[in-house]
This record gives sequence, structure tokens and C-alpha cells, in this order.
Amino acid sequence: MKKLKFKGVKFLAFMIILYALLFIFDFENTFTSLKGALNILWKIAPIFAFVIILTALINYFLKPKQIMKHFGKDSGTKGIIYALFGGILSHGPMYAWYGMLSDMKSHGLKDSLIAIFMYARAVKLPLLPFMIDLFGMTFTVIINVYILIFAVLQGKIMDKLMSKEK
Amino acid sequence: MTKKNEQTLNKAFINSIKNFISIVPMILAIIGLIGLFQTHVTDTMLSKLFGYNDFLDVLIGTLTGAISSGNGAISFVIAKGLQAQGVSLYALSAFILAWITLSFIHLPAESSVFGLKFTACRNILTFLTTLIIAYLTVVTMGLFV
Repeated sequence: MKKLKFKGVKFLAFMIILYALLFIFDFENTFTSLKGALNILWKIAPIFAFVIILTALINYFLKPKQIMKHFGKDSGTKGIIYALFGGILSHGPMYAWYGMLSDMKSHGLKDSLIAIFMYARAVKLPLLPFMIDLFGMTFTVIINVYILIFAVLQGKIMDKLMSKEK
Repeated sequence: MTKKNEQTLNKAFINSIKNFISIVPMILAIIGLIGLFQTHVTDTMLSKLFGYNDFLDVLIGTLTGAISSGNGAISFVIAKGLQAQGVSLYALSAFILAWITLSFIHLPAESSVFGLKFTACRNILTFLTTLIIAYLTVVTMGLFV
């Protein structure tokens, strides 16, 4: 069973101290910030639950060997397509997905696929109608097509950059 | 489901929950930081930064998009407002892209999970990509409109 190792403890301690200081000097705005932060937490809680379930199911159905096969160094085009679709379909803030990605990385997920996943998330499916309404169909189609092309290019470049250290 | 499968599934869930709990401090810190940014970096403040020339506006669009945070829809609304003020489409594209792909607030968390080298390389690439896509989008738009 995995041993618990917390990440971001110093960062959180820094934020607590920062809030404590700001409360002294600017109570009203800091209280608004804290309320805003709690509101965000409340809104994204269901996404966290979804990510926990998804991570568990990935761990259950995909053994480390299979993760290596689909998302590891020999995953090829299939891995890129999975990462692209995963990015497009994933919902909520990026940091909600850090846990799952870090878990899959420990089982062999390639850095380049993480980069592709992260960039492909810029295609926001639920927001496309809104984008079309504000900026038109041509702009929406062009920018999203470029996002997907550059997500793949970014993955390729990350592959080269990250493999240099190994 | 066999007993062995059930045990494996339980183990997968426990590991997944533990994995999530391990990043809770980081998530709380990021959310706290976003709360502060949303109060102190306002839409009006952002819109006042534009209006120089296309090149500077693109850079400003990218940087302001990167320091802002929140739902992508907010960036669309701000961008639409900026468009009404005459800010170029180059800058608007860069602003929207940077808002949804770059986030300076997430940097400490990203580097603690994926390492400093990965985070630095990915974010520098994303910054450059934003500038390139903003340019290409407007040039390509010119071919159709």
C-alpha cells in the first residue's frame, strides 16, 4: 500500500501566513478572497470526486504494463490520440488532474503525453457555443484547430527536451 | 465480482484516495492564491493595460492571461469587451489562449508534482505557442473573412 507523502505543504504554510497578514492589514478584501476561494473549492469538489473514481478505475483496469503499452515510451500515435481526447474531454481546473497524472506517470506515462493532455485542455467543448456566439465560427474553428496541432507539436518538443536528461 | 477482484478494486480506491489526499495541501494553496488574485486583479485593471501597438498588446495579452485565473468563459467576456475598445484580434487571441493554457499561479504546484524541468520547459513552450497561435489565427482568419 502506498505511503502518504504530502505535496505543497510549504506552499500552503506560506498561503496561510499570507492570509493571516492580509487579514490584519486589509480585512474586507481578504475576507472576500477567502470567500471566493471557498466558493471555488465547493464548485470543484465534484470534479475531485470524479478524478478519484477515474484514477481508481484506471488503476484497477490498467495494470502498469498496460499503462506503459498505451501511454509509455512505445505508445506512438495511439498514445497521442488518447492524450488529445483525454485533454479535450477532461473538465475542471488543471490542478484537479495532477494527482491522476502523477499516479500514471509513476507507472510509465510519458512526459510528452502529459504536455499534450495539458495543452489539449484548451479546447473547451462546453464553451464552444459561447465562443462561436462571441467571436464567430471562423475564429473558433481556426483557433481550436491550431490548439490541437500545437498540442501535438508541443508533445514532440517536450519529448526531445525531457529525454535529454535521461 | 470475485473476492480477489473486489480486494483489488478496494485497494485501487484506497490508493486513489491516498494519492488525492497527498496533493490536498497544494490544491488548497492554489485555491487560496486564486481567491486573492480574483479579488485584487480586476477586469477593469486588465483592460487598462492594452492599447499600445499590436506587438506590445500581444505580449500584454499573453502576460495578463497568464496571471489571471478562472473559468475560460470569463476570458471570452473580457476579450469581447477589449475588442469593443479596439484592442487587436492578435492580442485578444493571445489573451484567451494564455488564460486557458498558462497559469503562473499553478507553477509551484506543477513543479512540485512534475518537476522543475518539465514545468519550465512546458510553460516556456506554451508561452511561445500562444504567441505563434495568436499570430497564425489572425493570419488564417484573413484568408477566410
